Amino acid sequence: MTTDENELLSALVDGELRGRELDKAMALLGKDPSAKDRLQRYQISRDAFHGYGTKQQARATQKISAAILLEARHKPANIKAVEKTNVISLPIRFWQQTLSLAVAASIGALAVVGVMTQPNTQLVPMMPIAAMESTQVLESLGTTVVASKAVVLPLNSGNRWTVEEQEIEDRLNIYLVDHNEYAGVSDIFSNARVVSYESGQ
Amino acid sequence: MHNLIKFYLVLCLGLSSAYSYAEDSEAIVLLKKMGLAAKKLNYDGVFTYQTGAKLQAIRIIHKNNKKGEVERLLSLNGAARELVRTNDIVTCIFPEGKQVNVDRRPLGRGFPSDLLSRLGSATPYYDISLGDVARVADRSAKKLLVTPSDNYRYGYHLWVDEDTDLLLQSNLLADGGVVLERFAFSSIELGVEIPDSSLQPQIRGQELTWVRNKTEPVNKLKNKKEALKKGLVWEVDWLPLGFTLVAEQSRRKSQDGTLVEQRVYSDGLSSLSVFIEKRNQGHRHLEGISTMGAINAFGMIAPIHFLTVVGQVPARTVEKVGHSIKLVNY
Repeated sequence: MTTDENELLSALVDGELRGRELDKAMALLGKDPSAKDRLQRYQISRDAFHGYGTKQQARATQKISAAILLEARHKPANIKAVEKTNVISLPIRFWQQTLSLAVAASIGALAVVGVMTQPNTQLVPMMPIAAMESTQVLESLGTTVVASKAVVLPLNSGNRWTVEEQEIEDRLNIYLVDHNEYAGVSDIFSNARVVSYESGQ
Repeated sequence: MHNLIKFYLVLCLGLSSAYSYAEDSEAIVLLKKMGLAAKKLNYDGVFTYQTGAKLQAIRIIHKNNKKGEVERLLSLNGAARELVRTNDIVTCIFPEGKQVNVDRRPLGRGFPSDLLSRLGSATPYYDISLGDVARVADRSAKKLLVTPSDNYRYGYHLWVDEDTDLLLQSNLLADGGVVLERFAFSSIELGVEIPDSSLQPQIRGQELTWVRNKTEPVNKLKNKKEALKKGLVWEVDWLPLGFTLVAEQSRRKSQDGTLVEQRVYSDGLSSLSVFIEKRNQGHRHLEGISTMGAINAFGMIAPIHFLTVVGQVPARTVEKVGHSIKLVNY
């Protein structure tokens, strides 16, 4: 891979390419499998730099967290002996449960704050991203998160925008028609949402 | 601790090669053919659209000839809404609101045909495979399974007609395989002669209000220069892996002349639009998330603009993209 090609892919990740340069990058991705690999590395690096994790990165976090918990269970015997002489000894299971409860409480608080700060225009409360992703991490660790699960609602809200103001609804419908021109894989059906708006049985 | 660092390094290396790269497999080829069939074929059929507890029957008539494409959709239950789409104009007729909206779409012709050329770039972010043959609308259909590599986009189960490659059914899937929306033909006639009269709206518009939105051709250089002159440009700082800018246009609303800028980002299969509209005093705008079926929108009010992200992607995606929009001072 040449320096120019690397710069091209880097610019693609940054969304700086237009016209012929964009076509050139697409052609490169189409013919060179290593270019796709490099593009993803750039994107992952960029996301990490901006503090945005992908699902894979979240999994990495989960595994690291799991490894930390695992290490706690396998402390060297001599350290364990010193601890016994200085502090009140409680079973590790007790600390794990306490930690889980504390984290669950924090997540619950986050979820509650998220719901409380939602504007009046929103009829379906949505969980904040941070809480959602933390929930996934905790679930993968086998920790029960009752408070967070209570606010996870299905995304489908029927065929009408979940807003209260007519003006906002009208604006969103105009945007929807504009966006439908770029609906993607099920383009043939995309305008069905417009003609069936707030009708149906 | 040493083991932990090693574990992390191995994991990071693993991450970079964790994606599967499908070449132009049979499934990808079928996906491309499906997109072309929807544009090229003549068809007249009825399909159902189901989201949540709502079920709607819609008639679709599509014609392609030397002049280009014409398509008409008519809702068969509830209000008799209609939408007529030609090469560059979309006309929406809302009899209950006594209104007809007419929008020019100068970029419409470039997409989805443009999308098809980008399918190759989508393959790292989806696992696309062929499933079993099934029966939809009394026709034999091949099943395509499209599974996203992360939870920033939806998955699809698609049933494609074996004879013509037309999409007959689409199930849009959220996390855990939950079906958010289902479109499915119940009957369809393919390759039939479509008379022009079939494409005329049933509802006559004499008693309705006509709203025509003007669309301005995007002069990127002029826009950029003007924005730079003002010293401030809105930039999207985060997009899901693989999403790039594929189209942009500016439209002037007929009601008040407000300029609305639309930027479309896509990974080749899914897409989202960012709308930047000049803020009008006294007007209300979406703040936070709103949902309609599988379409999610996230809105914010900036000092001089309404910012909105709309897309057929999960709520977390539009929210994250929305939060990343920032005003860059050059």
